[in-house]
Amino acid sequence: MKITRRQFIGGTAAITAGAGLFGFNMLAKSDVANAASNQTGVKTFRNVCPRNCYDTCAQISYVEEGVLKKVEGDPKSTYTNGKLCLKGYNYTRRVYSPDRIKYPMKQTPRGSGNWERISWDEAMNTIAEKILDLKQRYGSTLPVCLDKYSGNFGITHYGIEGTLSSIGYTTRAVGTPCWPAGIDSQTYDFGTIFNNDPEDFANANYIILWGSNCAWTGVHSLPFIMKAKERGAKLVVIDPILTSTASKADLFIQIKNSTDGALALGMARYILDNDLVDWDYVNANSIGFEEWADYVKKNITLDWAAEKTGIPKDVIIQIAHEYATAKPASMWVGYGMQRHTNGGQNVRIIDALGLMTGNIGKSGGGVNYAHLETWGFNYHAMVMPAPEGSVGMPGPDGTYTNRSVNMNNFAGDVQALTDPPVKMLWLACRNPVSQDPDTNDIIKMFNSMELVVTVDSFFNKTVELSDIVLPATTHFEDWDVMASYWHYWVGINQRAIDPMYESKSDVEIAMALSKAMNALEPGSCTYPTEGDPEEWTAKEFNDGVFNMLGISDYKELLDGPRKAKFSPAAWADGNFRTPSKKFEVHSERAAQNGLPAIPIWVEEMKAPNQYPIRFMTPHPQHGLHSQFQNLDWMMAANPEPLLEIHPKLAAEHGIGEGDMVRVYNDLGEVTIKARLTETTSPDVIVSYEAWYKDSKFNVNFTVKAIPADMGKQATGMDGIAFHDNFVAIEKA
Amino acid sequence: MSKQLGFLHNSEKCIGCRGCEMACKNEYQSDASVRWRQVYQLREKDFSQPTRMFISIACNHCENPECLRVCPVKAYTKREDGIVVHDQDRCIGCKLCTMACPYDRPQFNAILKKVEKCNLCYERLDQGQQPACVAACVPEALELVEINEELDLKVGVLKTLPGMPNPSVTNPSIRFIGPKQGKQIRRDV
Repeated sequence: MKITRRQFIGGTAAITAGAGLFGFNMLAKSDVANAASNQTGVKTFRNVCPRNCYDTCAQISYVEEGVLKKVEGDPKSTYTNGKLCLKGYNYTRRVYSPDRIKYPMKQTPRGSGNWERISWDEAMNTIAEKILDLKQRYGSTLPVCLDKYSGNFGITHYGIEGTLSSIGYTTRAVGTPCWPAGIDSQTYDFGTIFNNDPEDFANANYIILWGSNCAWTGVHSLPFIMKAKERGAKLVVIDPILTSTASKADLFIQIKNSTDGALALGMARYILDNDLVDWDYVNANSIGFEEWADYVKKNITLDWAAEKTGIPKDVIIQIAHEYATAKPASMWVGYGMQRHTNGGQNVRIIDALGLMTGNIGKSGGGVNYAHLETWGFNYHAMVMPAPEGSVGMPGPDGTYTNRSVNMNNFAGDVQALTDPPVKMLWLACRNPVSQDPDTNDIIKMFNSMELVVTVDSFFNKTVELSDIVLPATTHFEDWDVMASYWHYWVGINQRAIDPMYESKSDVEIAMALSKAMNALEPGSCTYPTEGDPEEWTAKEFNDGVFNMLGISDYKELLDGPRKAKFSPAAWADGNFRTPSKKFEVHSERAAQNGLPAIPIWVEEMKAPNQYPIRFMTPHPQHGLHSQFQNLDWMMAANPEPLLEIHPKLAAEHGIGEGDMVRVYNDLGEVTIKARLTETTSPDVIVSYEAWYKDSKFNVNFTVKAIPADMGKQATGMDGIAFHDNFVAIEKA
Repeated sequence: MSKQLGFLHNSEKCIGCRGCEMACKNEYQSDASVRWRQVYQLREKDFSQPTRMFISIACNHCENPECLRVCPVKAYTKREDGIVVHDQDRCIGCKLCTMACPYDRPQFNAILKKVEKCNLCYERLDQGQQPACVAACVPEALELVEINEELDLKVGVLKTLPGMPNPSVTNPSIRFIGPKQGKQIRRDV
């Protein structure tokens, strides 16, 4: 069956009247043979998945008569290799979901569910009037607070920051809840984050996936790892959970949470004692190594490391020997392991292992965490001047700046502000009510606002607590350019279909707000009011990006994504970006931030007596944070959240398979159905964070906003120790 | 019948990523109520140590399809290449086939009130393409194969896995390479 876009919209409108009429099945190839043979009307476009994911997949979208029919991987990226993940194959369900937010809407009162469609003009005027009212009452726009992060990492989406900059100095959620402790570790050690090309895993003789469940969270790296394995490389997975990735390992090591540094120190002691150090590399490329080696010899024993980590001594010896002698040996340091109060320090110790074995700067090697080397765009949509005469936080030289609050203690920090208080929230690419720690405190903070504006595609938990919601386009409805924080490819994202309903991109919303602001008070907003989406994207490019990709015009990317012209081995040139230009085993910058100068052991956080069980809430398979899981195919495939619990622990509490379990601590609680499994250990329970449709499930009620040890050097704020989450359980 | 096409599923390579399952839905935009292909996690207790192992199952295009045998309106046919095709125009939605299939692969579409199932992407095959699920398999664990004696004589090729129904009922056109486990250092032992 063929449908036009107009008919399609007609079909979707009908759903509001009678559910049975809705037509996802209008997309279906009910007449398979005819649908396949009739390819004449199909146009293809280049897209890039903009989600917060290692893989940032190059996509091809298939569009017929203005309708997105299917999405595939782009074979021109050798990383994506023509294949998407399960989430990427769900995109038609996102674009055409009947649950999509279609128009600007207002909710009175907030949280009531009493939503009413309003026009874009009314929405923009309400928001503009509130901003101007707050500016008049408080003498600045500081009562307006932005919380934006990773819902869409397309470069033009930094126009969200630009929106707020263009109205004056505002309050900003600063930091990243995701990966900052590890970023700082590598900033202290290497000068910045810079991983080998993940396609270079194929050249490794030994691979340690240290806390990475890439079978779920970065699946396109696996073929390169498996290629190495087929060549005879050994695959070791170190993780507190026997994940799908760990199930494929030659050796799986179930480590006690947050003791990764103790294991690495035990390995270092063995490598030192057995003369397996690559002294040529160490002497030529590092400072402070002798000091650290001295510390290790005086303070670390293999017996201590075994006791600390729960890993037998002979196993520590085995992997230390193998890792030091395999040459090259590669490590992938996952983000979960740095979400601890000693997480950054543990990554620094692992970095030192890479250094001492000479595995840094080598193809098939590396201590691979992430990179931002391909992100050198103009951020044209982001950089906007404040209107003339704007007042903000006074800086030392008489200029004004924005006011920062810690994204990782958002509820607490916002409520603590009094001069002036925060009275309005602007949320885009962000769902704090679902994803932030201490959900109850987040809700309390939202309730103290005069206006909450959220830009989103679905009525998620944050939208539920908003006054106004603005409908966001999907990436198929927009122009953009995307880079990855893992692989080396950059791709253009074309507008494949017209924006659905009344949705707008973040830049278009900024332009609309600017019109409304300037109509009410000329000069009150500096954001441009004109410009088409492709032009906005074109303005993000510069010669640096062109040279890196070997092109001279962004339009060349319409022929396919391009890979940055880097060596496959990061740091191959030995030009580290630390103050000393060497790998800094001794880091004065770390010391200046109150941290140990060298990678010594820092005790992990212990479970309090009344909450003896660790509750891990890692990334899910069927979604990415609060995205995807709500879609109909995902709900059918994975209808409800589960709590992975070891049979021994379950038995102690009289819990059987399928029983409901109340998980609680002094902060809050969540009730989840038990799934008995020996893939976790008896003192660790696991439930994967997600937003399920029509469900109250949220893993963050018990999570305290405890900072990780690092993050402020490179990202402005320390991270969150998400996995230092301690609870008690009972059969519900 | 000149040959029998089918699937070879390598459980050693399969990571249970469910890309095949969703690639199938992407290709056909099938309703949420049907799952032509489905990834199942194998039972932990069937292994000597805990694990996350998977198989991916679609219609097995059986040599002796029960769906075809029980269908009262002859909606099922078996092609020369062994593919079992279901004609939705003939289907009356009686669900007899859904009850007869040992693998639960004919799926009832709750909106159309009719059955549907995997057709092995025969129209893609005719154009020289792989089935959508095979083309999407990141670890290359799923293959389109010709089921014949030569395949069955290969070392490591299995006709069934623990948890699968007895293949003697329908002689399904699927073969497996069994899962393999590495060494584990666990905290509960």
